[in-house]
Amino acid sequence: MSQTTRPPRDALAVRPPAPARDVGARARSISRLKRRLTPYGFLTPTGVLLVILMITPIVMVVTYSLLDGVITNQNPAFVGFDNYVEVLTNPVFFTAVRNTLVFTISSVVVHFAIGLGFALMLNSPLLGNRTKGLFRVLYILPWLFTVAIVAVLWRLLLNPNGVVNYLLGAFGVTDGQTEWLASTSTALAAVTFINIWSGYPFFMISLLAGLQGIPRELYEAARVDGAGAWSQFLHVTIPQLRPIIISMALLDFIWTTQQFALIWMTTGGGPITSTEMLSTFTYKLAFTRYDFSLASASAVLVLLMSMVLAFFYVRHQKSRD
Amino acid sequence: MTVLATPAAVSGRPAQRTPPKHTGKKVALVAALVLGACFSALPVLWMLSSSFKRNSEIFEFPPRLITPGFSFDAYTTILTDPVKLRFFLNSYVVALSVTVLSLVVAVLAAYAFSRYEFWGKKTINIVVVTVQAVPPITLLIPYFGLMVTLRLYNTYQGLILTYMVFTLPYAIIMMTGYFNTLPRELDEAVKVDGAGPMTALWRILIPISVPGLVSVGVYTFMIAWNEFLFALTLTRTEDMRTVPIGIQLLMGQHSYEWNEMMAMSILGCIPVLLLFLFFQRYFIGGMTAGAVKL
Amino acid sequence: MSKGAYMGRFIAVAGAAALVLTGCAGGAQETGSTTDGGTTTEGEVTLEFSQWWEPELPAGAFRALMDQFEAENPGITVELLSGPYASTKEQVVAGAAAGTMSDVVGLDGAWVSDFAQQGAIADLTAVMADVGYDDSELASQVQVDGATYMIPVVNFVYPMFTNDALLDAAGVAAPPTTRSEFADAAAAITEGDAYGWILPLSLEAPNGIQNDVMSWVWASGGSMLDGGQPALVDNADVSSATEFIQGLWDDGVIAPGAFTMKEQDKVEEFTNGRVGMMIDSLAHVNLIRESNPDLEFSISAIPADDGYDGERGIPYASWGIGVAENSEHKAEAFKLVEFLMSESVNSELSSIANAFPGNVGSVPDFVEQDEVFGTAFEIYQSGFPANEFTGLPVAEQLMRDFGEEFQRSLDGQQSMQDALAAAQAKWEREF
Repeated sequence: MSQTTRPPRDALAVRPPAPARDVGARARSISRLKRRLTPYGFLTPTGVLLVILMITPIVMVVTYSLLDGVITNQNPAFVGFDNYVEVLTNPVFFTAVRNTLVFTISSVVVHFAIGLGFALMLNSPLLGNRTKGLFRVLYILPWLFTVAIVAVLWRLLLNPNGVVNYLLGAFGVTDGQTEWLASTSTALAAVTFINIWSGYPFFMISLLAGLQGIPRELYEAARVDGAGAWSQFLHVTIPQLRPIIISMALLDFIWTTQQFALIWMTTGGGPITSTEMLSTFTYKLAFTRYDFSLASASAVLVLLMSMVLAFFYVRHQKSRD
Repeated sequence: MTVLATPAAVSGRPAQRTPPKHTGKKVALVAALVLGACFSALPVLWMLSSSFKRNSEIFEFPPRLITPGFSFDAYTTILTDPVKLRFFLNSYVVALSVTVLSLVVAVLAAYAFSRYEFWGKKTINIVVVTVQAVPPITLLIPYFGLMVTLRLYNTYQGLILTYMVFTLPYAIIMMTGYFNTLPRELDEAVKVDGAGPMTALWRILIPISVPGLVSVGVYTFMIAWNEFLFALTLTRTEDMRTVPIGIQLLMGQHSYEWNEMMAMSILGCIPVLLLFLFFQRYFIGGMTAGAVKL
Repeated sequence: MSKGAYMGRFIAVAGAAALVLTGCAGGAQETGSTTDGGTTTEGEVTLEFSQWWEPELPAGAFRALMDQFEAENPGITVELLSGPYASTKEQVVAGAAAGTMSDVVGLDGAWVSDFAQQGAIADLTAVMADVGYDDSELASQVQVDGATYMIPVVNFVYPMFTNDALLDAAGVAAPPTTRSEFADAAAAITEGDAYGWILPLSLEAPNGIQNDVMSWVWASGGSMLDGGQPALVDNADVSSATEFIQGLWDDGVIAPGAFTMKEQDKVEEFTNGRVGMMIDSLAHVNLIRESNPDLEFSISAIPADDGYDGERGIPYASWGIGVAENSEHKAEAFKLVEFLMSESVNSELSSIANAFPGNVGSVPDFVEQDEVFGTAFEIYQSGFPANEFTGLPVAEQLMRDFGEEFQRSLDGQQSMQDALAAAQAKWEREF
């Protein structure tokens, strides 16, 4: 990993020899300035977009969270942190945090496991390109559908009179009467399963792209050292994929905590509160309790939690330097 | 495509370098692949089967894969409705533009993150990661107001810029990660010849980053193709609406058009599948491994 | 080549790409600039009408009515904006917050109080006074603090549907009229795959609380409110109805999957002949007939408490209409409301929607032509339309609060009385 990031002076290491002293000094300082400004130039389009279209609305949401009765009230009053206190004293908020963590952590872990497993199989030298191509297509299928359809499809499949129960009943695995989404004991597992199904392909694709980038020489060198398949996997594949795995896990974590439509359209956060997530909790505050200030406060809390994660992520990157 | 799922799987060329002792391994591998395919593809097979059923057969018990009411009616209804075809066109325009523009913008930013040290790098990095952490549903109202103010409401540009904002963080992070795995010596070598960073990026890094670009591109396309909430809020008229809205429009207050919903999502996934088939040669092993050697 | 030149070239390319994009969507931008239904030329008015009705009606039927309106009112054009029902509320809220709401909006009774409070929809009492409209022909008006904000255009009533074959097979001679008859019938029907009753309690769309739970209270003349305030505790009507449902649940006569079931699923189960009885919207009659032509079913009033002989409340849901507060054309907008509420147009709209009219004088044609609808119309006229959630603040949240506690009690985590007390406490906070 040592070659990935360099200390800054490295970037200045290659300098053209100065032709004459005076001109050379000026040219150097101009070129140094240019060099220093270049990265900002590269970042300008991103910066403009994110500031206008993302930071602005976020700032507005933060403002909302400090006011009372925003949107519904013409002249909302400033109430400081009252909204935060109200959200944090609501026991359902903590149920939502717990469910979100269970849902998210299991989703990310299994996404990674399935994604890596499938990616490795698809990358195996034992298979012909046609076979690989076929399975690659089959494996990305779940990813191709809009979340509304995924929700509706699984509601059909997991219906008490649906195919899943029929098959499980026919093979004698269960009594074929399970109310997958409607029972407090299985609902969370069921929505997590649906999310795993619909989300792993994207993990798989990213890892597959990563696997292509691992130089073959590393494996050859490992083989020369007498490493077996398992040892090659542990000492070449995993370390080489590490940056991708960590970025993916972080992103997947953040996205999964945001997963709203899938849960909303399958269980609506129920039965009772067994699949209530931060996203459904926030949605209900905004659009059924009609309290956008509370909803904003809840959203800001989610943002803060994610910032903690992002902080660790960036620190991890720093430690790689 | 699901028809191909079964035994054809084994047809992979028995590459001459596969010695006989690998046969057992290969059988196990193919078995595992088929099992995985059941997990990923059977629900989709059910969707396909439902799209051929009559609405009344969707809930029949015991369920059947092919029912007496088998017909292509749902597909004919969609393909002969100009309003629905317009939804498809809109989705293409939006998703393709988002993919191209996001890739361009993200590659530039990723290059800066990967190859330069500069003041504020860490902060910008944290911002890029965390902006995605705000639940989109809470951004809906301020965002909507912003789009109306910017006169982007009910336009392609509005949707395209919105999705770019959604996809950029991922695209930047992944491309940065990808560039980081490419040795610096590559672009330094070009720079020694007096070329600028754009040359290094364009001539050296981009060509060998194709698998990364494709995976990021596919991701971007999928987000733009399947997003529902903002597509609904930021458009107003039928000539601007996209496929996911068309699908939700079939979920009525009183009943669902099950078969048409399923047919529409099958139709929606076909172009994406074709696109993937076209680009997937970039995932084929070894192609970049050679290039990255140095 | 210098990096400056490369940078410059890139910016040129990006700029060109942006221009191309702007160009290809130019047409769209023009429509975008008239978001608040601006006047196109002198004297010409375009009204935006956002609703979810158009996709629910036969293709082109609603547009035809609008064409008729345009012909009768030269100078006014109506632009129909249709969205999916499930997302209508969010869209109206966002539109109202940004000041781009359509001039005329389709409304559900459960949203009215919230929109009125937000200042999104106009006080129609004032508008009606301005234009001198005689409201005596309106069957009902939804009011908040004494002012009308929504006018129900058509109403979908929710009687009891019974599957004739299943009832016959179970030896039930006629559809039950009292709760004990209902419980007996449900127990008799339940066997194998068939269940006596079906109860959708999804928390995503919690209107099952209104249509399938509270309807039992209203059918026996009860009320969940007292002087406009929640009265769930110490209320014999509410308590007996909920205990009754708990009893059905404990007897196992309610179809599985109730906790996440939605209205659409309920109908599918009934249509497939797996459920003996359901309380459902008349809007589904044609769907059931189309999907399963062999299914024989009857319609009757919701069973009442044993011994109750007063008028039975029958739940209903409305397609309501309102006018945006920020509309620049309130007078023209109200012309459209007036048009939809007029006797003949209202008859026509209720006929195509299979709903009951919002105009007292209208009679939809299906009432005479169709036996099932005829019976339903009799039930409707002999009872009274009851929906206590209409016009309440955060009505959907009230249903959801109640639904959550109700599920807890069905699930055996608390007693029904505790559920009512807990729901009462939550409701008091919202009022």
